[in-house]
Amino acid sequence: MKKIKIASGQGFYGDSNRSAVQVAKNKAADYIVFDALAELTLSILQKDKMRDETLGYARDIEANVRKLYPIALQNGIKLVTNSGGLNPKSAAKKLSAALAKQGLDGVKIATVEGDNYINRLDELQSNGEELKHLDTNQPFATNENEVTHANLYIGAQGVVDALKQGADIVLAGRVADPCLTLGILAYEFGWDLNDESQENLNKLAQGITVGHLLECGGQASGGNSYAEWPMEYQLSNLGYPIAEVDENGVALFSKLEQDGGKLTRNTLREQLVYEIHNPNEYLTPDVTVDFTQTTIEEIAPNQVKVEGSIGKRKPQKLKLTMGLNEGFISEQFFFMSWPYTYTKAKKFVKAVEEIWSKLPLEMDEWRYTFTGINGIHETAAPLQSEEELNELNEIGVRLAIRHKDPKVGKIALGSVIPLGLNGPPGLISIPGWGKINRQILGLWPTLIDRKWFKEEVNIYEVKATEKAH
Amino acid sequence: MGKVKLIDIASARSGDKNNICNIGVMAKTPADYETIKKHLTADVVKNHFGELIKGKVDRYEWDSIESLNFICHEALDGGGSRSLRMDTLGKNFSSHLLRLELDIN
Repeated sequence: MKKIKIASGQGFYGDSNRSAVQVAKNKAADYIVFDALAELTLSILQKDKMRDETLGYARDIEANVRKLYPIALQNGIKLVTNSGGLNPKSAAKKLSAALAKQGLDGVKIATVEGDNYINRLDELQSNGEELKHLDTNQPFATNENEVTHANLYIGAQGVVDALKQGADIVLAGRVADPCLTLGILAYEFGWDLNDESQENLNKLAQGITVGHLLECGGQASGGNSYAEWPMEYQLSNLGYPIAEVDENGVALFSKLEQDGGKLTRNTLREQLVYEIHNPNEYLTPDVTVDFTQTTIEEIAPNQVKVEGSIGKRKPQKLKLTMGLNEGFISEQFFFMSWPYTYTKAKKFVKAVEEIWSKLPLEMDEWRYTFTGINGIHETAAPLQSEEELNELNEIGVRLAIRHKDPKVGKIALGSVIPLGLNGPPGLISIPGWGKINRQILGLWPTLIDRKWFKEEVNIYEVKATEKAH
Repeated sequence: MGKVKLIDIASARSGDKNNICNIGVMAKTPADYETIKKHLTADVVKNHFGELIKGKVDRYEWDSIESLNFICHEALDGGGSRSLRMDTLGKNFSSHLLRLELDIN
């Protein structure tokens, strides 16, 4: 039976490519798949694109083009990624030029697009799409903030078409994370994405399951793991998961033996539940997946079999996510040490409250937390007595402000600096222990009919003539 | 019997979708799964987080991997980059849940 090996290369924009380089060097997979687009990443890329219209893609491909792609391509490994972000064509042109310089003539790069709706929002609304908020049900007409990006989560068909046209590298836009993998499997095994027989739907569901387990890199092979605590394996060279999948979608997960990390039933269980809502009904553009029949079975050390996911018909509507420019957050950390640790921290906060109450500052909200006590869990953190807290070696105070006017954060945090001399003894902070004006990119998720979507695939072939560039 | 610490019988992982946080809880053994299935209810989870979770909590049973999945609505202070919290993505909702002591009388 034909089997295809797909390795996870990356779990987010900015992730290490170390594991992928090892996979490429060892020819340990037929494909490497990279998910670069978390919910907020597209808004970050939009900021890049506004600065320079040739940007707008995940820039880790610039490092990969030197250190990873040449080795992978020479070893016959294909690369599939949504790093194209908001500008796959520009990314493809730059990549093509860089590969030409390295003498990789004839390599085919495909772009997959059709996901970018930033210029089509009026058209959608005038044709009856209200773009209601998925969680709050508010119509989009009530939104007053500037839209920074609008991208549709699209399915696997573009990846299939790109591979059919001979692509060695697929540079997609907002293809839904697990659909990158589904696209590879559908192409290799001839699965029809529109065949709604139960047998075929189950294959597609397994494809999504494999894609979901690969999309977060090291989180499936022992990273970020309470299940394998105390994590008695190496973390600095964590090997990312590799799935060997057969034509029915049954997958055997492993990792490179010489790499760190660990692949067990536990590590795959904790990735399977990650960012899933109803496990009976996981919606993707290509198939709705029931994970409740999925089984995970350890058959040998670092060899884990995954099968049994059930497919149901795909939804008629696709998810469109818009980014909104909603203002800024400014924050700063301050620290103090024993003695009277907690009482000093409270005294500092009281002075801050008094200073800010006298300034004409428009804050949407501000908040303080005590780092080391309730910095992460805030009101849910259990609190010791003041007497006990006063014996702590040190406490941090974090001040965080949400505001619309970009001047507010600077003025507010500047106004408390004199407490270094006027406040409780030993208070320390320096600029940089925090950030002024971190931009807030609110998200507006909605659903639109899939009839508005049409994918666009283009091929760029690397040519020797580009060497002169 | 009496009380059992969740961290002794399960592990957890949490993540975000906008303002919703999901916490997957993986029982260590099939017997532990029966315990959490019976005692780790949506209400218990919501109470444990108090004001952090403004909306409802849905619970899904996941027998094939001896896990429960909790969907916590309006749990991330507006979500993602809008949140004034340090843990903007709710990565430590898992940690806080593991601190829970279950009453199994």
